[in-house]
Amino acid sequence: MKKNPLILFFIAAIVAAMLITGIRIARNNRANSGGTGQLIGNLAPDFTLQTIDGKPLKLSDLRGKAVLLNFWATFCEPCKVEMPWFVELQKEYGPQGFQIVGVANDDASSDEISKFAKNMGINYPILIGKDSVSDTYNVSVLPTTYFVDRDGKLIAREFGLQSRSVFVDHIKKALSQGQAVQARR
Amino acid sequence: MRILLTTALLVLSAYAVAQDDFGPRGPVVTMAPAAVVTAVQGKPATATLEFHVASGYHINSNMPKTEFLIPTVLKIDAATDIVIGKTTYPDGVDQSFPFDPDEKLNVYTGDFKVDVLVRPLHSVQPGKYAFRGILKYQACDNKACYPPKQLPVTFDVKIARAPRTPGRNPAQSPDAHQ
Repeated sequence: MKKNPLILFFIAAIVAAMLITGIRIARNNRANSGGTGQLIGNLAPDFTLQTIDGKPLKLSDLRGKAVLLNFWATFCEPCKVEMPWFVELQKEYGPQGFQIVGVANDDASSDEISKFAKNMGINYPILIGKDSVSDTYNVSVLPTTYFVDRDGKLIAREFGLQSRSVFVDHIKKALSQGQAVQARR
Repeated sequence: MRILLTTALLVLSAYAVAQDDFGPRGPVVTMAPAAVVTAVQGKPATATLEFHVASGYHINSNMPKTEFLIPTVLKIDAATDIVIGKTTYPDGVDQSFPFDPDEKLNVYTGDFKVDVLVRPLHSVQPGKYAFRGILKYQACDNKACYPPKQLPVTFDVKIARAPRTPGRNPAQSPDAHQ
């Protein structure tokens, strides 16, 4: 049987198209899902974690504020680059109802994390991370940063070090969305 | 021919699409198959283990200069009759990265070798012995870091019988009476 080059071409094209589509779908699912569906556009999965001071902090208690949720680690040098910006941004946008929350995704001890945070002059709460939370938020890269609007909805996510202006843009958007109610904390 | 070229182009496109996602697709560090180390009863030998860090990534050296960084460490499971001696790591390279051009980190990139000294006891039976362990490392690229990983490590040591010392009667050896 003689093979028609045109048919072969179409088969190859269809196979490649299916491959590309499959990869894209799989990637989107992996990036956006926390095992329970899409993250961006939905309410931020709630959690309660201990701060380095030993106090519990529940994410949903910040409802009414725009939140930058930053997953980081003491061993992560790019994370260190962002932190001074976060300190400034907390000062600048805090009065408008903006709150940064750092989640240490780290095997380091609480004391080491505290020491690190102190050295960096951190002026926002640092939480001791848990695998269940980082899995829910699909954190496989550090830093990973989520932006939550005042209604508690996840509006954006950034993997890896970003420029300061990217954070500012997301913060402004988060502050402009949702109801500015009195946060419980 | 044109069909083949088109197919190759399409597959390469799909591959490129797969690569633009964030983070490594596979292990950042891999180990080359280790050559069998031959050692003689009672004599030390060195196992040289060769590792490769994927392009675009770096891992901390065994002696990172910056506090909080996780060093690369090789741990080999202890074996009976063959003592694991000193592990010798290569010097890292001081290198700065785009995320902080002012700070130099001491890292491994590309290929690096780690030497492990093995000391078979006199009493060890000749034969081939398999060693297992892990290489603990923590990788980053120019924009992000990845959680610490453990790479399984294996190598074989072949123990040969020590040559007999000629003209010596073991029964008269002072060692035989100790």
